[in-house]
Amino acid sequence: MLEIRNLIASYGRVLAIRDISFTAAAGKITTVIGANGAGKSTLLRVISGLEPATSGSITWQGHSLLNKTPEAIVRLGVAHVPEGHAVIASLTVAENIEMGALFRRRTHKQDVRVAISEMYALFPRLEERRNQLAGTLSGGERQMLAISRALVSRPSLLLLDEPSLGLAPLVVEQIIATIKQLCISTGLSVLLVEQNANTALGVADHGVLLSLGSVVADQPAQLMRADSALRSAYLGY
Amino acid sequence: MDTALTTLFLGTTRGAVFALAAMGLVLVWRGAGIVNFAQMGQAMFTTYIASSLIISGHGYWLAFLIALIAGALLGALVDLAIMRPLTRRSHTGILASDSMRATVPVIASLGILGILQSLAGMFWAAEERGFPTPVSDVAVKAFGKTAPFTNFDLFIIIVVALTLVATTLFFTKTGMGLAMRATALNPEVARLSGIRIGRVRTLSWAISGVASSLAGLLITPSANLSPNTLDLILIVGFTAAVVGGLNSLPGSVVGGFILGLLIAIINVYDAPDDVFLALLVFLLVVLILKPSGLFGSKKVRNA
Repeated sequence: MLEIRNLIASYGRVLAIRDISFTAAAGKITTVIGANGAGKSTLLRVISGLEPATSGSITWQGHSLLNKTPEAIVRLGVAHVPEGHAVIASLTVAENIEMGALFRRRTHKQDVRVAISEMYALFPRLEERRNQLAGTLSGGERQMLAISRALVSRPSLLLLDEPSLGLAPLVVEQIIATIKQLCISTGLSVLLVEQNANTALGVADHGVLLSLGSVVADQPAQLMRADSALRSAYLGY
Repeated sequence: MDTALTTLFLGTTRGAVFALAAMGLVLVWRGAGIVNFAQMGQAMFTTYIASSLIISGHGYWLAFLIALIAGALLGALVDLAIMRPLTRRSHTGILASDSMRATVPVIASLGILGILQSLAGMFWAAEERGFPTPVSDVAVKAFGKTAPFTNFDLFIIIVVALTLVATTLFFTKTGMGLAMRATALNPEVARLSGIRIGRVRTLSWAISGVASSLAGLLITPSANLSPNTLDLILIVGFTAAVVGGLNSLPGSVVGGFILGLLIAIINVYDAPDDVFLALLVFLLVVLILKPSGLFGSKKVRNA
């Protein structure tokens, strides 16, 4: 279980997160939705250690994630796919995936090989393009690669930031379906940040709605999806 | 014809050494975003260590090996003792501004250069001293003719070629090499992948230290050893790195050889006194006409 208590954090000079508390159940997809500037991306960056928290607490399966480096947090099983299809454009597809498994290459030599081939099974288009530079991929393929780079470390919690950004609806659907499948088959927990609330609530088990750095609703995704007052007040549709 | 051949060989051997110096600069630039002006000062210091060992009766090869190890340690020390503490406090005082944050480590590297040169002056430099070669440095003679190169020239070319092959294999075939490339290209994604970028950066400094130490050992026999001997190599190495694009390792090597030939041509056909002027003119022309260098990408700092 991911437990966030009274979290306060700034992004640069902006107070982006003003007291957030919620829990995300293990093995489920929890989505964090809200308008631009609600603090969604900052929340993920604080969880993965890229930004410091001012105060509060974050624990994942009993381990505190606060004041730890991103390098240490990945080793606790928390993998972050940041916004904007974060791959390294001048490395090949195979190198991008291998990079995600580097820290386990000595301790889990056998499993790293298995994990890499699992990624190619999950996204066969990546296998076809394994020797191409990541910069030559389409947007959808890059997002698949960014997710594979994270999944190959065998995380227990996946932090996904706006996977739908700039992608065709069909591709988004395919990627989301793959993630959902993984949750069911492997017990992976997902914290999904999305601007596209409809897509996110459609796939998630639970929804957390942020506005201006605070939680305004925290309920099962189905309920949130059906709440038209909430939608029109915070999501504008 | 003979003059042309001599120029070619001189240019190639010098170019090989400049390539090493340029590679050392590029490694630290890519790894840590710092132009390390102390680099050839570090090399001068380790060459003095080798020289002292040789003078006190130890063999060349032992001195050679110890100088390379000292180069690695000195590089790592500069990072751990000075550069890391400087970047750790990056949100306070003068370091809070982006441009100062980029400038301060470079100024620090100039300070380190000064300190190393003064220390070398205190420890060793009562007078300039020569530095030996491991193999003969008189022109090779075969079939009654004098060849335009020496055994030591061949030695330099072989050592540099081996170094380049080893470096290429390291970067393309090993996990640590991939970690170093990833850290240079996109530190954020590298960290999220679990790569400990602090250690990777220290390793960049250490490898750079070895490359420049090697450059020092190979170039010093052609000049006398003094605290300032290698200043010119720094300028040549920097120009070579810029010609190559500053963020490209193969580019820095090609840049080194281009500069080697350029300097040899000026030495042979014009006058050695013009080398320094020609270098600066060449650097300016490259910066004005093609600031990204021959091999660099346009956005030097990003992937």
